[in-house]
Amino acid sequence: MSTSALLALLMVVGLLTFLYRYAMIGFFASRSLPAWLHALCRHIAPASFAALTASALFVSGGDVQFAFDSPRPWAALVAVIVAWRTRNVLATIAAGMAALYLLKLLF
Amino acid sequence: MSAGREFLAGCRDEAPLLLGVAPFGMIYGIAALSAGVPAWLAQLASAVVFAGAAQLVIVQMLAAGAGALPIALTSGLLNLRHVLYSASIAEYVRHLPRRWRLLLAYLLTDEAYAVAVLRYQRREPAAVDAPDLRHWYFFGAGFTLWAGWQLSTAAGLLFGATIPAEWELDFAVPLTFIALLTLLLRERAGQAAALVAGLGALAFAALPYKLGLVAAILLGLLAGVWTLRRLERAG
Repeated sequence: MSTSALLALLMVVGLLTFLYRYAMIGFFASRSLPAWLHALCRHIAPASFAALTASALFVSGGDVQFAFDSPRPWAALVAVIVAWRTRNVLATIAAGMAALYLLKLLF
Repeated sequence: MSAGREFLAGCRDEAPLLLGVAPFGMIYGIAALSAGVPAWLAQLASAVVFAGAAQLVIVQMLAAGAGALPIALTSGLLNLRHVLYSASIAEYVRHLPRRWRLLLAYLLTDEAYAVAVLRYQRREPAAVDAPDLRHWYFFGAGFTLWAGWQLSTAAGLLFGATIPAEWELDFAVPLTFIALLTLLLRERAGQAAALVAGLGALAFAALPYKLGLVAAILLGLLAGVWTLRRLERAG
């Protein structure tokens, strides 16, 4: 992507984000959030993070590749276990990176 | 309390949260450089978008060769949750003049919201006729987080330029997503949304410009809403 296209993209996302933040204290300050929008908003983050994680780990250039002979999927598995056990974001990142470096020595 | 003292109290109470935010700013800066984003543009994004998860998503998708439209749709969807924060702070700020509401909307992040809402809910024995200056506290909290985000982005950009690619620090971005995802998976409906979106990302991987991610997230949202409906009917 060219730098000017990227600049335009960031401006659009920035404007949209501001409009979201201003929506209920500016445009619709006297109204409450519709129930369906509330329900939808709650699922946005889990759906987005799951899709992005699956894509980052198993999609390469439009192809699905379960590359279990490379360290990344296994390091991610270590991160999932640590995340589940500790519920600590920084510990998860540290464990995943440490696992990646250790596994790179093995593979 | 005077306006200045409210502002400083907001800064002071927000400061500890910077410990949790700064690593993300640095990861973002490092990942942006490795995705080929010019440093000035990566820093500008931290000021214009000012939303950590969306910025990480943008960088991750750029690195994977996604097109502008899928990136805009994905980060636009992800940030939609800010409408929730906007709705929950509305009762405290809707009486303020527009310039204040514009400023506080710009500074509205989950970390600033969390600190400010505690101040709004704390009862003070102060005189009833004293002016309400708690928006200065909110401003102080939001400003502190904003400054911390800008500085940690800059640190990541400076530091990232000196890190060899073999360190694979870009892997910290999917690790961040894994950590956040695990925290979010407490409800059945959220689990269904995540499962369907994750499988969808693989099923639609061949779609051009990473549009498959948008399709997967939308399908995941449908699955979440559908599961919630079914659970409500069942119980």
